[in-house]
Amino acid sequence: MTTLPPLPAPRPKLTSLARQKLPCSPTSIPRSQLIKEKEDIDHYLEVNFKGLSKEEVAAYQNSYTKNICVDLLRDGYHKSFTELFALMEKWEALRERARSRSLLWSQRPLEEQPDKLDHFYYYLTRAEVAERKGYFEDVYNNLYALACYFNNSEDKWVRNHFYERCFQIAQLIKIDGGKKEAEAHGHMGLLFEEDGQLLEAAEHYEAFHQLTQGRIWKDETGHFLNLLACESLLRTYRLLSDTMLENKDYKQAIRILIKASEIAKEGNDKKMEGEASYYLGLAHLAAGEYETALTVLGTYSRVSTELEDDLNLARAYEAIAKVLQSQKNTTEAIQYLKEVVNIARNNFRSLDIVKASTMLGDIYNEKGHYSKASEYFQQAFNTAAELANIPLMDETKVHYGIAKAHQMMLTVNSYVASADLPSLDHLLSWKEGRSDIAPDPVVEESRRATLESLYQTSEDLEEELDNQTNETSASF
Amino acid sequence: MNVIYPLAVPKGRRLYCEVCEAPAERVCTACTVTYYCGVVHQKADWASIHEKICQLLIPLRTSMPFYNSEEERQHGLQQLQQRQKHLIEFCYTVAQKYLFEGKHEDAVPAALHSLRFRMNVYGLSSVELVPAYLLLAEASLGLGRIVQAEEYLSQAQWTVLKSTECPNATHSLLHRNLGLLFMAKENYEEARYHLANDIYFASCAFGTENIRTSGGYFHLANIFFGLNKMDLADTLYTKVSEIWNKYLNNHYQALSRARIQQIDLLGKRFETDTGLDEAQEAEAIQILTSILNIRESTSDKAPQKTVFVLKILVMLYYLMMNSSKAQEYAMRAFNLAKEKQLSVQEQNAIQELLNLISAQEAQPMT
Repeated sequence: MTTLPPLPAPRPKLTSLARQKLPCSPTSIPRSQLIKEKEDIDHYLEVNFKGLSKEEVAAYQNSYTKNICVDLLRDGYHKSFTELFALMEKWEALRERARSRSLLWSQRPLEEQPDKLDHFYYYLTRAEVAERKGYFEDVYNNLYALACYFNNSEDKWVRNHFYERCFQIAQLIKIDGGKKEAEAHGHMGLLFEEDGQLLEAAEHYEAFHQLTQGRIWKDETGHFLNLLACESLLRTYRLLSDTMLENKDYKQAIRILIKASEIAKEGNDKKMEGEASYYLGLAHLAAGEYETALTVLGTYSRVSTELEDDLNLARAYEAIAKVLQSQKNTTEAIQYLKEVVNIARNNFRSLDIVKASTMLGDIYNEKGHYSKASEYFQQAFNTAAELANIPLMDETKVHYGIAKAHQMMLTVNSYVASADLPSLDHLLSWKEGRSDIAPDPVVEESRRATLESLYQTSEDLEEELDNQTNETSASF
Repeated sequence: MNVIYPLAVPKGRRLYCEVCEAPAERVCTACTVTYYCGVVHQKADWASIHEKICQLLIPLRTSMPFYNSEEERQHGLQQLQQRQKHLIEFCYTVAQKYLFEGKHEDAVPAALHSLRFRMNVYGLSSVELVPAYLLLAEASLGLGRIVQAEEYLSQAQWTVLKSTECPNATHSLLHRNLGLLFMAKENYEEARYHLANDIYFASCAFGTENIRTSGGYFHLANIFFGLNKMDLADTLYTKVSEIWNKYLNNHYQALSRARIQQIDLLGKRFETDTGLDEAQEAEAIQILTSILNIRESTSDKAPQKTVFVLKILVMLYYLMMNSSKAQEYAMRAFNLAKEKQLSVQEQNAIQELLNLISAQEAQPMT
């Protein structure tokens, strides 16, 4: 068979070209010559007019993403291309989903952020070159750089993607004794922790901790990796135990916290050790094991004293007081709480003062020492008022009111019980004034004294309090 | 009587050769609607496509029968359109298959038919014409007529450039052919640029891991292989084999699952199916065998890569019901694995494949 001439295309020129080989068709310019002329023109344009090269035309004609992809591919970086392409697709999908959810939210498309694309290009190609040569450490470094670059709230998932990739690569690196692997475990732990999957996070942190044990590796900011691992692990354990305590699973929680405090001990960081014992003590308290709780919290207070850390000491005392209170050992509890108030006052920790005073008030209230109770509640209220913390003020106000109502109840009761004319007068006058009640001469002297001292509070406070006092005493 | 006399044709009606559009001298006696300028073109057309579509052409080229109602007329027109569209696809696939099999000359008449019907249905400046142009260009390239190929490609490129919306798949095909053209012209810079574009568009249309994207990777790998950048070519060839392995393995697994589930249905035969059309099967064979050749030339360094390609080929032939070839490749893989002392697991996997194929062959086709 000889040649098969092409089908004439719609153009008359092409038709004539197609026919030239047939015996009956007229001859015209050979095609090769035409094409050669075209190439000459192209060449001429390229040489004489700057900015008309094919690549530059393509750069203007196409989107930036496409140019990046084509650049990647023509140099054979197909793995980078696949990765980038998948990321871009996911980016668009996320954008679409976010847009359908809320009209206002608008993340810019990747297309409009060429600097991000440039970063992708730079690091991904370098990683691929390194991977081809088998230098996994370089691969890790490049991917990690990308993860760091995307470490902001908007692009968190990109960072997570590269953390995962780092983790995969790190398992191939054997020369550095597992430092990279440890780091990768740390990142994965962080990733799961942020996602709320604490068990997985704990698993990764455990691996991180195990790999860094006894090593003196430091991260880029100069922190010891082992210490970092301990901290993260403790934090995760604590969060885990919190959820367990919420579910009343005390045994599990305590077991985890014991593990945590052991790790803290190994970590050789006193502060961490104290922290761990504090949470362990609280867990024991929640589980109702008071003796153990006391010993553990004792460790905490000892550590805090060694470190001369007043704040932690106050915290320890407060926790101990709580345990003692649960044990009905109120006198000791009161001692500890007074200590707490002192420490807090010395350190100007108003919130702690409020907390401790409220607790003290509570204890006195329970014991029936109403005047002392209202004294501490008043102290709590005044401190809260200084802080101008409205919710706290409201809370202490109620406490104060209750204590005061208790205090007054005795007098009122005795008046009602005596049921004679002067008592009735006293009651009526109190009802009218609502601010004062004359002490009954029959009632003991001591009580009168406390009553009087009570009414020396500031005027504005009385105004506010009266309503509440009535409400609360009505409910008794 | 298959000779006609142009002068005897009624005035105003001119008959053209089906292949070259010269005045016709002969007619096909089977359908009596197809004309040729000479025996050569008639034979070529018959061998390529006419044998398969001879009878299908009759309703398209005779005038429509008389219909009584508008409704019937519409229906008749619609049917005509349907037939043409069917022919477009059919001719296209046939031509493509010839191309993958390397029979470039046979592909030309089929591609021309596809192009002609496309012109009838879609008009002269439609994007739909582009795939046919591309086939013709590829055939010309295969025949070594670079100039002609460039002509077709320029035509295709111009059509694409003018149209506002052109599917990504077409873009991808165009760039692939341009890439091949520049490869033939040994302008590797341009070729790489176009193949990169091809992969990008194919990824947009089908995803990065699709078998239809693999072609671009394969040609790109060939360029790097030619430029002696072995590490690059190697990763790209690996990529191509992985794509095919994934695809074929999916089908293979589905088949074996079905086999296990219905094992006791009186020895019922299972339909093996690749899920590919003929052209894609031909492409698969072409790509995989050339990768195999390259792997075998460097087999000493990485035998497991050769075995990997061999296993893909075994799966392909097995799914295509070509058990003799499947067995041949499986034996080769088995021997190679033994010789190079690959892992036991690998050897077992091959052994399993081999057993399956021999079982298939023992059971004759009914």
